[in-house]
Amino acid sequence: METIITVFLTILGIYFTIGLLFGLYFLFIGATKIDPLMKDTKKNVRVLLFPGIIVTWPFLIGRLFKSKTT
Amino acid sequence: MGLNYQLVLWNKHKKTYDKIIAAGMLLYIILFAATTLIFNSETSIETLVIRAFGSLAIIMLHIILVIGPLARLNTNFLPILYNRRHLGVSMFIAALIHGGFSMFQFHALGDVNPIYSLFTSNMDYGSLTNFPFQVLGFFALLILFIMASTSHDFFLGNLSAKVWKRLHMMVYLAYVLIIAHVFLGAFQQETSPFTIGIMVIGFIVVASLHLTTAFKERKIDNTKTEEKNGWLKVCHISEIEEDRAKIFTVENERVAIFKYNGKLSAIHNVCKHQGGPLGEGKIIDGCITCPWHGYQYLPSNGQSPPPFTEKVATYELMLEDKTVYINPKAFDEGTEVKPCNY
Ligand code: HEM
Ligand code: FES
Repeated sequence: METIITVFLTILGIYFTIGLLFGLYFLFIGATKIDPLMKDTKKNVRVLLFPGIIVTWPFLIGRLFKSKTT
Repeated sequence: MGLNYQLVLWNKHKKTYDKIIAAGMLLYIILFAATTLIFNSETSIETLVIRAFGSLAIIMLHIILVIGPLARLNTNFLPILYNRRHLGVSMFIAALIHGGFSMFQFHALGDVNPIYSLFTSNMDYGSLTNFPFQVLGFFALLILFIMASTSHDFFLGNLSAKVWKRLHMMVYLAYVLIIAHVFLGAFQQETSPFTIGIMVIGFIVVASLHLTTAFKERKIDNTKTEEKNGWLKVCHISEIEEDRAKIFTVENERVAIFKYNGKLSAIHNVCKHQGGPLGEGKIIDGCITCPWHGYQYLPSNGQSPPPFTEKVATYELMLEDKTVYINPKAFDEGTEVKPCNY
């Protein structure tokens, strides 16, 4: 049981760390590429979006790659 | 539906609702603290905070879960539905204070990582009466965090409505986890009869309201109608209220038939924003206004007024002896259809 918990919490930690790093990039650079509405979006709104980006980064990375190929 | 993202799409009602939410939460905490101090004066302040915010969160969660079905059964509840997202975020904050204080009180003072401690301080995972109920609370809180943090319209657009809806349907999973958290916790802490009462009554109300609406919608979908040269009979014109709609099902699609200004128009019932039921909204400033978040469509062509670009399918209507008939074939999204005069 203890191993399962350790593995689970490590994965959770890695997930959120990647999210954090990706979030910083995405918030100020990436987001504008997939969503034109972001261009005129103010800083305080971006900060509000930050936690959600940390959580959903796998989806957003997918969107970024798709927008690059098209 | 804007040209850039705003912190919150404010309108004057929303601000009032937010004040009501904040005042209500504060009042509850004060009342809870007062009654606890009077009847249970040896309770420590940490325990008081944990219980006050835990029970506040669960009450708010119940309110959130009943708003949807209530608004579908009775349109008077619609204004609360507009504000449900803020209620959700506020509920998360209450739950976070509860969880955070518990973590601090039970797990932060040792030398292991508090989250690791939460999972391992009680390893009785095989037991029912001594189950580590706090772990269930942790997963519920994680779900609430996912929902609160993605509640902004940015995520609705960029995760796609389908993914977003799925994430937010997890509220039911969170609800189940919290029920288990409270009931399994009750074996180990002296959980108050008050909280248990809320949970039991709350569950009965939530479940019966969801069943009632599901049943009612099945009935709408299964109503048999007369046909006349390819036109389907809907209802007598007096059955539709001014500036409101009747929802009618043709070929398994729900259609909203609106009556306004001596005219009748029909559009597909599903809002482009998040699938809200347009036929449960009303006409405001000449536009069909979605009851969920206020997206607007012109009745005659199903298009959002410029600069917006949303479009829904339209339908053709006919009036004979004050009876409304509909052509079951939908036009393409945004097609202009001459309204039917009466
Ligand atoms: C990390 C997450 C969480 C932790 C560590 C946690 C911990 C606890 C603890 C230690 C208790 C027992 C308190 C006592 O009676 O002395 C408790 C009770 C309770 N929790 Fe949580 N919890 C968490 C998440 C949640 C969430 C997300 C909710 C609901 C939204 C919730 C709702 C409740 C309720 C209603 C009670 C019963 C309060 C009472 O005794 O009256 N908890 N929780
Ligand atoms: S569903 Fe959000 S406005 Fe219609």
